[in-house]
Amino acid sequence: MKVEEIKVPLREIRRAIKDFYDPKEWHFITVNGTDIGGKVELKWFFTKYGEEEVFKVFTAEANYDDEVPTITYIIPSAWIAEWELADLLGLNVEGAKKGLFLDPDSPKAPLRRG
Amino acid sequence: MGNKITIPFGSQHVALPEPIKFVFQTENERIVDVEVDVGYVHRGIEKACMTKFKYMQIGYVVARVCGLCAISHTLGYVTAIERLMEIEVPRKALYLRLIVSELDRIHSHLLAMGHLAEVAGYENLFMHTFRDRELVMELLELVTGNRVQFDYATVGGVNRDITPEVEKELREKLKVLKEKTLWLKDVFENDYTIKLRWKGIGVITPEMAKELNVVGPPARASGLATDVRNEFNYLPFKEVGYKLIVRNEGDIYARNLVRAEETLNAIDMVFNALDGMPEGDIKVPVKGLPDGESLARVEAPRGELFYYVKASKKMILDRLRIRVPTFANIPVMKELFIGMDYADVPATVISFDPCLSCTAR
Repeated sequence: MKVEEIKVPLREIRRAIKDFYDPKEWHFITVNGTDIGGKVELKWFFTKYGEEEVFKVFTAEANYDDEVPTITYIIPSAWIAEWELADLLGLNVEGAKKGLFLDPDSPKAPLRRG
Repeated sequence: MGNKITIPFGSQHVALPEPIKFVFQTENERIVDVEVDVGYVHRGIEKACMTKFKYMQIGYVVARVCGLCAISHTLGYVTAIERLMEIEVPRKALYLRLIVSELDRIHSHLLAMGHLAEVAGYENLFMHTFRDRELVMELLELVTGNRVQFDYATVGGVNRDITPEVEKELREKLKVLKEKTLWLKDVFENDYTIKLRWKGIGVITPEMAKELNVVGPPARASGLATDVRNEFNYLPFKEVGYKLIVRNEGDIYARNLVRAEETLNAIDMVFNALDGMPEGDIKVPVKGLPDGESLARVEAPRGELFYYVKASKKMILDRLRIRVPTFANIPVMKELFIGMDYADVPATVISFDPCLSCTAR
């Protein structure tokens, strides 16, 4: 498996993905958030069409009060993964609405630890 | 300016016996806007897998994400963990996993095809499809012990071997099923009214498929040659005659035919896997604790299923992430509805074979 991980500051994530992403060549899988204790580690996963086990992963860390930039300007389908981040980790993702998964009386940000 | 009406589709709807709600804004029955809510059955399984269950138990927990895709979920998880812990799974176990994975695809594709016939008003064809599907349901029960919620794969291998009696039954029933599937494919492909109803409806262009990262049969029906079985080496598909099935029309008709052709290919692959079954163990012991990160992709019947795990030498994982195929296809469904006649919504939704149980895991 060939996984290339690129660490970028949160504010540069959109530019980094824009510079690399070609929809004909790369398939956007999802963005994942992991609570690492007061902060979130975000990973944007991509894989290459037609090639065996080639991945590119962009990683950034965000504080809970940071605004996470949306990448829907570059990858329109990313909205659903971003809305999920807003629901399940309570992140402030640019343009994301809450309530795609959770009802108003659900636990808030259930994937946060502590 | 026409009549503007708001029409809710779901959360429970005759065409889709799973809870999802689309709220359509229509103008003279043409859809001009849509909102989607997928959270009716959210069960917090990711959270449970990061708090309550040990990493060796999670394969059995994620099988409960969905009854239909249980095999794929467990495969995704155990593959990610095995890669992380550098466990070498016996070749026989890989072949057994492949057989069960393809049986799962057969029953799921037949369900989708039958369901689509039902929403087109073809009750009889629906019943034929579901009657034939029963053959594979019986086989899955014979091989795994369950009709649904199959706990077949485990970290390090599989839980049960195939006995000679079960193999005989597999061969006999699959031979019958192949004949029946050829007949079904012929009907779905050539019936005049079906063609009229489904051709040119709900078209995803190749450009849309790429831009919106469509997965599974809807992607392959739109000319996008992507299939995880071809792109992630988790089972020996290429040794048993796997074929990448691609069509270019992008409509409901093409999505159905991709499933029909994949069903036939899956039957052939099971025969070939039985013929070439390696000797040896079906499981290896697992030692140690997972440490680090891993990911796995699996081609579930509905498309790419993605698992990400993060661990730090503890029994409980730091993170388990499941990205299911229907979740990936919701953005394109939403785009597709804009400009569509409301009457085409049920068949279009069903042609994606959506799985809300997976989406709201």
